[in-house]
Amino acid sequence: MDAGNTNLLARKGIFLLAALVLAGCTAGNGEGLDENGGAIPIVPPVDSDFQQIQDTIFTPICTNCHVGANAPQGLRLDAANSYALLVNVASNEVPGTLRVSPGNPDASYIVQKLQGNNAVGARMPFGGPYLSQTQIDLVRGWIAAGATPPPASVSNQLTVASTIPAGKESAAPGTANLTVIFSADLDASLVNTATFGLRDGFDEPVALVGTKVPDGRPNVVELTLARPLPPGSYQLDVRGAGPAALADNAGHVLDGDADGVAGGDYLMSFDVKPGAQR
Amino acid sequence: MSFSNRKWLGLPCALLLLALGSMAQAEPYLAAQMGLKCGQCHVNPTGGGMRTVYGNTFAQTALAAKRIGAEEDLWTGQVMKFLSVGGNARANYTYVDVPHQDATNEFETEEARAYLDFGVIPGRLSVYLDQRFAPGNATNMEANVRYWVKENALYVKAGRMYLPFGYRLEDDGAFVRQLSGINMQAPDEGVELGVEHGNWTGQVALSNGAGGGGELDHGKQITTRLEFVQSRWRAGASLLFNDAEAGSRSGAGLFGAFNAGPFTLLGEIDYIDDDSIGADGTKLMATLAEADWKLRQGHNLKLTYEWLEPNRDLDEDEQTRTSLLYEWSPIQFVQIRAGVRIYDGIPQNDNQNRRQAFLQLHGFF
Repeated sequence: MDAGNTNLLARKGIFLLAALVLAGCTAGNGEGLDENGGAIPIVPPVDSDFQQIQDTIFTPICTNCHVGANAPQGLRLDAANSYALLVNVASNEVPGTLRVSPGNPDASYIVQKLQGNNAVGARMPFGGPYLSQTQIDLVRGWIAAGATPPPASVSNQLTVASTIPAGKESAAPGTANLTVIFSADLDASLVNTATFGLRDGFDEPVALVGTKVPDGRPNVVELTLARPLPPGSYQLDVRGAGPAALADNAGHVLDGDADGVAGGDYLMSFDVKPGAQR
Repeated sequence: MSFSNRKWLGLPCALLLLALGSMAQAEPYLAAQMGLKCGQCHVNPTGGGMRTVYGNTFAQTALAAKRIGAEEDLWTGQVMKFLSVGGNARANYTYVDVPHQDATNEFETEEARAYLDFGVIPGRLSVYLDQRFAPGNATNMEANVRYWVKENALYVKAGRMYLPFGYRLEDDGAFVRQLSGINMQAPDEGVELGVEHGNWTGQVALSNGAGGGGELDHGKQITTRLEFVQSRWRAGASLLFNDAEAGSRSGAGLFGAFNAGPFTLLGEIDYIDDDSIGADGTKLMATLAEADWKLRQGHNLKLTYEWLEPNRDLDEDEQTRTSLLYEWSPIQFVQIRAGVRIYDGIPQNDNQNRRQAFLQLHGFF
């Protein structure tokens, strides 16, 4: 076969390939499928709880990356932070979609990221291997059942479960927001700028301009600072004593010093270092 | 699926005014247009990443609409005899309209990368680094040593690398690249053997199959790619098998391209059988059809049509992605890309029916 015939054959082949690619390759009409494109399930939802997901998925797999100050998208999936940073929290990549929308797994961004039908970025876990359908169903089942909190957060005592940045952690320059996660749902009427104090390394107060208990996250307080924090050392004080002491919905006053008795301030130190990354 | 016409038509007018554009790194249509192998313009024989002296010269003299600067200031990438450097930076303005949600728009740094190639034995032995500095923390994407056992004919590469499968597209979001999981965001650790012989180029890689993360099991992934390259057309095939504990994953792909004057057509079909998805495993398929029209030097119009079948055992779950891009290289090493992408999927999933428009400034060397 000479070169001319070869080229002619190749041209026909390529055009045939293109025609095959285009012919009939249209989008589906979704009939008989759920929002995720899967067959409408005929099996009952998986019975799962958050602790099971934390122990079998988040802690052993996701925290390879999603932990500490450098957690991608600020999403920390260690046991102290995961629930508060997932449920009713808008995703960074698609702010109109909640990371976990209780009762609605298909509309939850974490499910979309795990299944690979997310709008932005790569499927998780990044680069694979991806979760098995059984593992994804655990997450879906927990969300479908209302995304109830882990048992540890149901307590007759109010403590600080976690902060962002965490104690002794280095936050990025320009940090202008702090997050405090409590062990129980707060009495939101007690949350104000007097309930929290922030001081720099020279023991000078740093102004807080706002405190917010986000919708659907009653055990979380987001603090807004007057200006981004410059590099230096800082100490956060959460009042557990005095007239500004915090309490939960059941009236338990904050056990800030973790001595097992209600009362006492919670103190936490962190740094903002030049060049540190979140 | 419905969109507000006013919203859609109300895309920033600047996008239309600036809708001009040309080539990028890891754009196989360029190789098909020129009848060259990927390794002609990239130090990596499978394409992408640092450019060769030829690739840099080509970018300055044949790709850009105009070359500015002194004649003698021709950038080759070689800053000294044994060291070459390169880089890419892409800054985007992106507009996304998801049905039933407020449209969003943002500026973002898609990526900023730097390449280093230490050619310690010129033509034979080199150490190659590809470091991504943005977005997020600095991340190593490739770090490998490449030894040409027989110069320009047979090499072995070991370390962190992109695996050889199908076309190495700049667009990591392409269905074929998402399906295979082999793209320029997901390197792997392993060893690759490559052969360059006449019109043939072939590679076989053995890697952890862990997407660049730590090895999680005892299984390994084998990935192969073979391509026959002619001046006007090319065709190739790829295979992969990942023996993962969570479930094995095997795949195959066919790809080809044809060039006729200013027009270049590319096509790829990939099939994956993934035992880790679903109780009985899942079979997936994706295609890419791309047409490029070189309007004149420095100007390229690109139309792509992609199709994804996420589960071969289910009907009516297919998705498509149609893109129209204008690429303009006004001067050497600068590219402005503007385009729209239309996603079409099942009506009950809003994200599968989004619209996206973007304007990108791409600097490279």
